[in-house]
Amino acid sequence: MGGGTAMSVVECRNLTKSYGKLSAIDDLTFDIEENKITGLIGRNGAGKTTLLKLIAGYLRPTSGELKVFAHNPFNSLEVSAHTMFIDDNMSFPNTFTLVDILVEVAPFYPNWDSRLAQGLFDYFSLNPKQRHGRLSKGSKSTFNAIIGIAARCPLTLFDEPTTGMDSAVRKDFYRALLKDYIEHPRTVILSSHLLGELEEILEDILLLDQGTKRLQLPLIEMKEFAIGLRGNAQAVLQFIEGREIIYQEEFAPSSLYVVVKKDLAPGAYDRARQNGIESVPVFVNDLCIYLTGKSKGGIDDVFKRG
Amino acid sequence: MIFNPDSIKPIYIQIAEWLETEILSANLKEDERIYSQYQLAEMFNINPATAAKGLNLLADENIVYKKRGLGMFVSPHAKELILTKRRNQFLTQMIRELVIEAKRLGVSENELIQMIEQASQEWEGEQP
Repeated sequence: MGGGTAMSVVECRNLTKSYGKLSAIDDLTFDIEENKITGLIGRNGAGKTTLLKLIAGYLRPTSGELKVFAHNPFNSLEVSAHTMFIDDNMSFPNTFTLVDILVEVAPFYPNWDSRLAQGLFDYFSLNPKQRHGRLSKGSKSTFNAIIGIAARCPLTLFDEPTTGMDSAVRKDFYRALLKDYIEHPRTVILSSHLLGELEEILEDILLLDQGTKRLQLPLIEMKEFAIGLRGNAQAVLQFIEGREIIYQEEFAPSSLYVVVKKDLAPGAYDRARQNGIESVPVFVNDLCIYLTGKSKGGIDDVFKRG
Repeated sequence: MIFNPDSIKPIYIQIAEWLETEILSANLKEDERIYSQYQLAEMFNINPATAAKGLNLLADENIVYKKRGLGMFVSPHAKELILTKRRNQFLTQMIRELVIEAKRLGVSENELIQMIEQASQEWEGEQP
């Protein structure tokens, strides 16, 4: 958006976080630019939560360098004053009702908008007298998300914020976040294992796979990144010879569907059509799954016998 | 307003086409200010960067022009530009498909031209 060079809010160089022999984050290097909404995408166990906790300063890196607002975030007051981390495990004193919490958190966040917080609270029909610990999964996520939006922190981290929300609430949450972001631009990182309805509010995607960066691209480029080709197996294999296969599936005898990088001139795909090879767009969500596949094949291979 | 996110067309192209249609139907007039990336983002529930890409597409084709600090405005010749472009794109694409299908069916170039001429003559003959 706009022009000029954007400032990096998060700078990460060869970052590693190990638990014993296991590296949850493994030699990770990336930047997050100011005032963008980034989707942190990956399968379960890809390292999304660990990375967010490192950025929030909750965890100390094992090695490498991590700067948030140009500071080392671990135990940094400077960073924690500008950062908000929203996840399932947020806990508040059990004597507080929801309405107490909305009042008590306000002084901690200079940009806190109590009108917005109250408006969202009423809209989602939460019970002001209920205690946080007693909330259902979905209501807890909704309440935490309200705090995350209304605090308007310069860096807001949401870890799987829609867990337990129903589809209508999820859509409303994404829309509320987008609307408030348009009026008050800030840096937002949202982790999710699923893109789908989240996709269109994102500007960038950072795809993690087993603690490493698989891809970091603007969403618009991600949509044009790959193409699916479907047709006679021999013809398809001949057409893509020498190119990296992102995904392949033999969906009928000697019929092949492959996903490859979309880096040929459009005319090439027209020529492929002459040979009976259809090209189809690849949804970003599917692409992310293909790029982070743990094994070469798919679930169908488990059922193949002999 | 919701765009079809599953459409084959990227959202920013759908945005550009929607704006073009607004210009063609004179809901947006020449030298009038067009929606900003933030207004479009809010209207269509998309990231402002995606909306900006749609606007820039129109600016690249001179359908809109930028005024520094004021936003983007509909060009005086926007309507003609859009009509010419759509005519060209639509026909070019259809002819392309026709040629590919003809090749697939083993129809030669001459046969194809004859078929086009014949169709054209038939159409002329049907006119009162």
